[in-house]
Amino acid sequence: MFMARSEYDRGINTFSPEGRLFQVEYSLEAIKLGSTAIGVATSEGVILGVEKRVTSTLLETSSVEKIVEIDRHIGCAMSGLQADARSMVEHARVECQSHSFNYNEPLGVESTTQAICDLALRFGEGAEGEETIMSRPFGVALLIAGHDENGPQLFHAEPSGTFYRYDAKAIGSGSEGAQAELQNEYHKSLTLEDAETLVLKTLKQVMEEKLDHKNVQLASVTKDKGFRIYTDEEMAEVVERLPAN
Amino acid sequence: MPGFDFSNYNRNLALHAQGVPLPKATSTGTTIVGCIYDGGVVIAADTRATAGPIVADKNCEKLHYIAPQIWCAGAGTAADTEFTTALISSQLELHALSTGRKPRVVTCMTMLKQHLFRYQGHIGAYLVVAGCDPTGTHLFTVHAHGSTDKLPYVTMGSGSLAAMSVFESQWKPDLNEEEAIKLASNAILAGVWNDLGSGSNVDVAVITKDKTTLKRNYITPNEKSAKLQSYRFPKGTTAVLNEKIIKKDDIGRYVSVQEVPVEGGDKMEVDA
Amino acid sequence: MSAMFSQNPVMNGPNYSFSDAPRTNNGEFREHRFNPYSDNGGSTLAIAGADFCIMAGDTRHTSGYSINSRMAPKVFRIGGSNSDQSDATIALSVCGFAADGNALRDQLDTVCKIYRYRHGKPMSVHACAKRLSTILYNKRFFPYYTHAMLGGIDEEGKGAVYSYDPVGSYEREQCRAGGAAASLIMPFLDSNVNFKNQYVPGSGVGHELKERERHPLSRPVVETIVKDAFDGAVERHIEVGDNLQMMVITKDGIEEIMLPLKKD
Repeated sequence: MFMARSEYDRGINTFSPEGRLFQVEYSLEAIKLGSTAIGVATSEGVILGVEKRVTSTLLETSSVEKIVEIDRHIGCAMSGLQADARSMVEHARVECQSHSFNYNEPLGVESTTQAICDLALRFGEGAEGEETIMSRPFGVALLIAGHDENGPQLFHAEPSGTFYRYDAKAIGSGSEGAQAELQNEYHKSLTLEDAETLVLKTLKQVMEEKLDHKNVQLASVTKDKGFRIYTDEEMAEVVERLPAN
Repeated sequence: MPGFDFSNYNRNLALHAQGVPLPKATSTGTTIVGCIYDGGVVIAADTRATAGPIVADKNCEKLHYIAPQIWCAGAGTAADTEFTTALISSQLELHALSTGRKPRVVTCMTMLKQHLFRYQGHIGAYLVVAGCDPTGTHLFTVHAHGSTDKLPYVTMGSGSLAAMSVFESQWKPDLNEEEAIKLASNAILAGVWNDLGSGSNVDVAVITKDKTTLKRNYITPNEKSAKLQSYRFPKGTTAVLNEKIIKKDDIGRYVSVQEVPVEGGDKMEVDA
Repeated sequence: MSAMFSQNPVMNGPNYSFSDAPRTNNGEFREHRFNPYSDNGGSTLAIAGADFCIMAGDTRHTSGYSINSRMAPKVFRIGGSNSDQSDATIALSVCGFAADGNALRDQLDTVCKIYRYRHGKPMSVHACAKRLSTILYNKRFFPYYTHAMLGGIDEEGKGAVYSYDPVGSYEREQCRAGGAAASLIMPFLDSNVNFKNQYVPGSGVGHELKERERHPLSRPVVETIVKDAFDGAVERHIEVGDNLQMMVITKDGIEEIMLPLKKD
């Protein structure tokens, strides 16, 4: 991976002779530095969970926003450069509003994910007259959870602009261990409650700090309630439920 | 003719300046034609009367009597063609009476053009004048501004171009009566199908030096299609909030009541 | 004396040519005008049934007193996946200025096709109805000069008719007539589809009378009403005639029927 830096690192939209875009690959590295985020899709809905890295006891934990709403029926969790996620989420929000203004129906989850990924490669110099908005690729990955006529869905979107649908997915620094855990624990008949537990249990394993209801955050997307971030009380309740070890 | 009453002219001008639109006169839209043949002349007309895009009368009469051997087909403002022909008809009758001779078609045409010219086009009558008199068989057109033409075949009205296309492609000299009727009615049909101002049936009048034959509704290619279901309402469908019956005897105390026998003839067509 | 040599027009000096530009009788400048709209006549009609919907229109295309075409359809299939629109499930009718109608149809159809590519499903009549509204409102100050109507089957399987004004105000309705003979046909529909001003004979006295109850009409009855409505309009409106185009939209797709009308 880390070959000698070459001239192909300079033009950020330039392929190397091996057919690689270094800057895009480096952006994937940026995500591996980010906090862990996990999504689990069940037949009842999708659960998103993130760890909040509480770096100081003086930090107001409620100001760490790593799960955000995109539309009433869609939300997302992020890992990587949080500031980059802002513009992606903003774009997704506008697309959702524009769709429901034009069609009087919510935008589909896959279409929302696609809309976000359409942004991903709009960096670099660009062709004459073509609008570019960024000088570098995004340094953030998103887990997009939503509910539409196709039921509850979970998508993972990368800075490369590709996206895949998952039953369960972990991103960020602890993703490798977490993904292995999810692989073992996930099954199709999980309830929403099972998923809450699974997400927190998995986070707990990969977090450096000791998990409590302040340094993790959960959100759910269901048919009836749409996207919802868990309140402190609800968080405490789920943390309470976790098997002690 | 006592002349028109202009007493509302200034008032109407003021109203018009304030944006009150002029009332819409019934126009005869119309295709009318005339054609001379060996031994007489034939004139024909469609039977549609319009008010804007609405059909006001589906079977109106556009062939007007002037004198027994002189008839007139009228296009333009329905009231103007009606009154102008009736006026000239009566003047011509008086003229015939005082001269003791049969009226001539040129006389009729001259009276019409002088009347119309006097009104500078404000009387919207566009006429085809045809007839037989002791000087021979004649066919004229008279325009609303007073100009006239004398031709072997003529067309007027909004369907005049469609009708003229038939004459220009099929007319030939020395037609016989049957051919002339066929040609004239085909010319009207061209207007009926291709001009929206014309429609319904074809009326034809054939004038020879001996007699005039009016063929009312000579061709009827536009019979109304039958309704596919009945739209009769059961008795009692309309709510009656109160009812007061005035008997003939009671109303007879205020107005005189007279029995009028129901006459046959040109009854308005209504659904059964 | 100096006024004699003044350059000032008010003082009779040299003048500009536009000061004697053409004026109207009222003394105002006569402006040159470009009128981009025309009226091509014709009429349309849409009725929703319990599980179907009929969109109809005559096929006459006029200018003034002339007939430009006797076979210019006003009802179109929208949002099919191919060029012959064989799998379309929505019909659009447009009446008024035919060029705008065609442009509107093409734009809506393109939007439907792009929607299908983007979202991997055909557009619902509900979504299409809203989109048509935004398309029309986008041209608020240079409108499409048309009375548009949209017909299809809704998500519950019921017949749906949406009707629009030229700038996008819309409403879902049971039935609607549009175009030149709308004012002739609409009262007929009020009576025979919505049974307006009708009471059940003998059901009471005066205000106590029971209104005649509305019920969804069967397909043969709706087809009959549509045909009779147009036969009536043809009798009294000069811009309506030639052929009657009917599109019957059911869950199985769109069926097209062409019937003759009077041609005078």
